[in-house]
Amino acid sequence: MSITREFKVGFLVVFTAILLIATLFYLAYEKGVFSTIHTYTLSSHSGDGFTEGMPVVFSGFNIGKVHALELNDQGLTLIKIKIPNKHVKWIRSDSSFVLYRPLIGAARIVVSSANLHSPLLPPGEIREVNTINDINDAIAKVQPLIEKITNIAENIERLTNQLSDPAGSLNRILANARKVTDTLARKKSLLEMAVDDEESVKAVHAALKKLKDITASVDGVLKKVDKMADKTDSSLYGKDGTLPQVNKILKDIIGKLEKLDTTVSNINKMSGDLSEGTKNFRILRSDIDDTVNAIDDVAKKLDDLLSTKKEPEIKLP
Amino acid sequence: MSFKCIIFNTCVKYNDSSLFVNDNVADTADRGLQFPDLCYKHLTSFVFSHNTIKKYWLLMASLESIGRFILQITASLRDTIYFALLVITRIFQLSSYNSATRTVLVNQIYFTSVQIIPAFLTASIIFGSLFIGIVFHALKGLGLSDYLGNVLMGLIVTEISPLFTVLLLTLRSASAINAEIAVMKVNNELHSLEAFRIDVINYLLLPRIINGMVSMVLLYSLFSIVLLISGIVFSGVIFGMSMDAYTNILLNSANFYDIVLTLVKCALFGFFITLIPIRFGLRTSDELTSIPVAVSSGMVNVFAAIIIIEVLLLITKII
Amino acid sequence: MHAFLDKNRTQAAPVSVDFPLISNQETWMNIALIKQYHENMPKDESQQFVFTCLRRLGIEHVAFKRIVALSEEEAFCVMLLRAAMIQKAIIVIDRPFIIIPHLKDVCFIFQMLEKINDLYYSCHVYDYKWMADKYGDLCQ
Repeated sequence: MSITREFKVGFLVVFTAILLIATLFYLAYEKGVFSTIHTYTLSSHSGDGFTEGMPVVFSGFNIGKVHALELNDQGLTLIKIKIPNKHVKWIRSDSSFVLYRPLIGAARIVVSSANLHSPLLPPGEIREVNTINDINDAIAKVQPLIEKITNIAENIERLTNQLSDPAGSLNRILANARKVTDTLARKKSLLEMAVDDEESVKAVHAALKKLKDITASVDGVLKKVDKMADKTDSSLYGKDGTLPQVNKILKDIIGKLEKLDTTVSNINKMSGDLSEGTKNFRILRSDIDDTVNAIDDVAKKLDDLLSTKKEPEIKLP
Repeated sequence: MSFKCIIFNTCVKYNDSSLFVNDNVADTADRGLQFPDLCYKHLTSFVFSHNTIKKYWLLMASLESIGRFILQITASLRDTIYFALLVITRIFQLSSYNSATRTVLVNQIYFTSVQIIPAFLTASIIFGSLFIGIVFHALKGLGLSDYLGNVLMGLIVTEISPLFTVLLLTLRSASAINAEIAVMKVNNELHSLEAFRIDVINYLLLPRIINGMVSMVLLYSLFSIVLLISGIVFSGVIFGMSMDAYTNILLNSANFYDIVLTLVKCALFGFFITLIPIRFGLRTSDELTSIPVAVSSGMVNVFAAIIIIEVLLLITKII
Repeated sequence: MHAFLDKNRTQAAPVSVDFPLISNQETWMNIALIKQYHENMPKDESQQFVFTCLRRLGIEHVAFKRIVALSEEEAFCVMLLRAAMIQKAIIVIDRPFIIIPHLKDVCFIFQMLEKINDLYYSCHVYDYKWMADKYGDLCQ
């Protein structure tokens, strides 16, 4: 039996129509057209960002949508959301509602329920909606950057204004540079250009020549001085120079001082025992002190002598 | 029953009036005096230099041609709207339908939809799979995987699929209808129908227009289903997405209003891609050489209509 | 003839080169169309009826042919049957020798009319005066 044209047409039409109707029916069913709808009321201080038909999302899944927006007597925005019966289980008494306004994409109300075992939210209860605004956050982050960019732009503008200004610094520099190069092209040397007088240039040349001669004579003097210094050094620091002798003297003095110190301590001991002969010992002690001071002076003078490299006359006490 | 034989001397040449062709504007322009001629008539009484008159003549001729063009467009648009309204009225009249109309309708749907099914499904699978693969890949590359559903439903199912279907139907059926009606007009076959008191609109045009609407909706639905099935494969391969997740994304993105609007758009496309070729076919003169002219004009107008409908519906969507 | 057709609009059924058969339909559909359209006769029924009529004229083999595939005689017969499908048809044959140019006389036409004489109310033939001899005694 051959399939008639009418059958083929009928089959196509009926098959596609059934497919289409079934799809639409399934869509309507999944969208909750045939299920019981529960209405919850949320509140917000501002209606900004809310729109009718806005999706209500739980864990990334659409569970309902905003049905109506109203303004109550207290100036609060009331947001009525419709949730199909099968999604009511996600709305708990401890659920939080957040208006999420992403930078890209549509705004939505995000429902979060910390404890899914807590009791269901009563339909009459009004819950507040918090707002997360990606756009404002992004603007706040970008604001300083924009200010910096604005400053840079202003600076660039100022620079370009100066560049374009005929009386501006750069143009003046360029004009001067042009003058300099022109002058340089006309003059024989930079010096001539600087003093703008040929006679002066000659004088400078002569002075420089003279300076060269003076430098040569000074150089000779310095060489002589060096030789003299060498001699002085040998008389001071040589084997039979002043300084080794001074060292010997100092060592001698130090030896004497040590002996004196011993003497003084002995005397102190004796002074503790002999109270009566105190006066005589005091005189003796002051003499010793004087001697020590004198030695100290001699040491200072020696120190001065070493620093000035002169051949001093050392007067020992 | 009687039998008579009448012999007459002269052969009657039948009045070749057309029911449908209404080129009023062109006729009016041809009948009357041309505007430049009028200008000359009036201006000769004045003393003008030859150059001045020539300049005037050129200016007037340009203005006249612009005016004629606008009038032609307006008249054509008016006639098309009038014709569309007439057809819509007939669609809702029960008396328009009879056994002959139904036969033509079945034949038309057979030729337009059933015969095309293998080629259409092949093209749908190849084009749809490639397109959906490219789109998914691009979305993944841009990090816009979250918008898979929106792109699939908002762009591919509601915009690309109807456009693809209407282009395919226009190329295959609208051009055929245009040529068919033009040939019938040239062959005097429409006169035959009139002579036998067969309403050309009811018998010839209505089934074709209904077929356009039905076929468009049917083929669009099939194309969309093929695309969505391709989507299951590609979402699994590219995003590693399960069928449940894919279905959920589709359901979240699907908008009942958008789908209904798309079906209406398809019906509108179907209406105009058959109505316009019919109108241009009916405007054919009695010469065979006018057939290609009618077909090409019809096709250009069909494409213009497609763009206009698309733009208007996009505006509706945006608003 | 045109005036006659206008006068008998409900019954007039022309057979003329000016009213050709529909070229994109098969032969049987050209004939059945009239019954289907005016009497809302179902397709299958009208098809059977047309087949019977074609058999009566001995041309049932042309039922599924397109018009271009028909000979001049076959085309005339199909036009005649189409005209006869009108209820109480007043068949108006316009210049039959233009439809079948090689025909020697009108006998073939009359034979065909005789075969379907129960299908029409009356028949009128219009032709040029100089074709009178082809009609024989009928024109006396």
